[in-house]
Amino acid sequence: MNEQPVSVSELTHAIKGLLEVGIGEVVVVGEISNYKHHSSGHRYFTLKDADAQIPGVMWKSRTLRFTPQDGMRVVVHGRLSVFAPQGKYQIDCTLMEPEGIGDLHKAFEQLKEKLRALGYFDPARKRPLPRPIRRVGIATSPTGAVIRDMLTTIGRRFPALEVVFRPTIVQGGEQASRDISNAIAELNRQDVDVIIVGRGGGSLEDLWCFNTETVANAILNSGVPVISAVGHETDVTISDFVADVRAPTPTAAAELVTPITADDLLRGIDALRERMISDISGTILNLQQIANSFTDGRAARRLTERINMRSQRIDDQTTRLSRTILQSINMRRLRIDHTAALLVSLHPLSPLQRGYAVIARNGMVINASDPIDPGDEIEIRRQHDVLAATVQSVHQRESTTGTSHGNDQGHKAETT
Amino acid sequence: MATTKDTKQKPLEEQLKRLEEIATLLDRGEAPIDEQLRLYEEGMQLAESCRAYLENAELKVRTLAGDDIA
Repeated sequence: MNEQPVSVSELTHAIKGLLEVGIGEVVVVGEISNYKHHSSGHRYFTLKDADAQIPGVMWKSRTLRFTPQDGMRVVVHGRLSVFAPQGKYQIDCTLMEPEGIGDLHKAFEQLKEKLRALGYFDPARKRPLPRPIRRVGIATSPTGAVIRDMLTTIGRRFPALEVVFRPTIVQGGEQASRDISNAIAELNRQDVDVIIVGRGGGSLEDLWCFNTETVANAILNSGVPVISAVGHETDVTISDFVADVRAPTPTAAAELVTPITADDLLRGIDALRERMISDISGTILNLQQIANSFTDGRAARRLTERINMRSQRIDDQTTRLSRTILQSINMRRLRIDHTAALLVSLHPLSPLQRGYAVIARNGMVINASDPIDPGDEIEIRRQHDVLAATVQSVHQRESTTGTSHGNDQGHKAETT
Repeated sequence: MATTKDTKQKPLEEQLKRLEEIATLLDRGEAPIDEQLRLYEEGMQLAESCRAYLENAELKVRTLAGDDIA
């Protein structure tokens, strides 16, 4: 042994390399002792068996799903680390489970697959929650916050709901499973509309009673829908899969059975009441208006107006009719007059034929009333010729004959 | 462990259903006026009784003794 001495630090460094790199990741089974949950949140303990012990630490940042107790046998996953200032080595623990939990995981998966194959989880056989829910059955522990929270939630949201509470063992294994199963059967006989089975969070072992075939069958055979409300959001149990509805927490289950709150209903009732008042007021107002229209003469006035309107229309039609008739009568009368004149002029004894003559001046026929003066150049038209003449003198006759044939006989003109 | 149903008055849901029915009938306004007035009166009574029921309701909890727990 003639070697150069090394420093403590160098030696520790070498040990650190051996332990942290050389051994590194470990899974160790042992018994817990000196467990301390420090106020900092970190947990310190010693893992031991009959002949040896090793310190362990589990930092605050690591999740622990159960409360370790001295004497408990646990399986620890972690890596070795050396704390140089004190020359100590320990396990830096990432995961800790009660011993046998691996078997539980395996059993859970096996049962899950078995029940799935049997159709226990078939969505088609799940029942919706009934509406309305009048009475709810609750199976959970009589102690602890869970039942209190659920009753508070229900009381706050819908106190008219009736609750049948069946205190139930919901911690551990087969015995609790049987109690849960009995509770479901008993609540089925209590005329409830829905049953909640649940408990607060805990380790896989704590929740194990919800992972058995016994409970699965009790839920499957329940006559009313079952809500499974076990642990926290992240805890999943067989009962969650089989239940008609899974609630993430017991409080959420209490909300599920009170979908409509008393406040909602009160608001709805008020709205209905206002609707009824406005409807009936509308009807009454309507009737009043009809009644008033009779008493204040409005109806009579309207009736007269309508009669007047109709008689005006009749008048209009009559006027139109008589105008048409008058027009057609006038037209006929004109045609008759015309024809008559024609007939007269065509008469065989027309005046020229009978030797009468027509006197014209400047091409215009002179009527009996037209003045004619001496010296006027005139034409005398006879049946077969026209004579040009000059008037020498005009003498008024004492009397005139009443004849009028468009020809002047009242005038006696002397011509050359 | 058999329960006796509490039947002193019609269940709340039935009263609410009737209330909605009445409101709908009045909405339509087809019924004769005296029938409408009767419905109105019935509706107002129902609304009052539902209101009172909901406002006075207190959570009723009945506890069963389990067979398996002491």
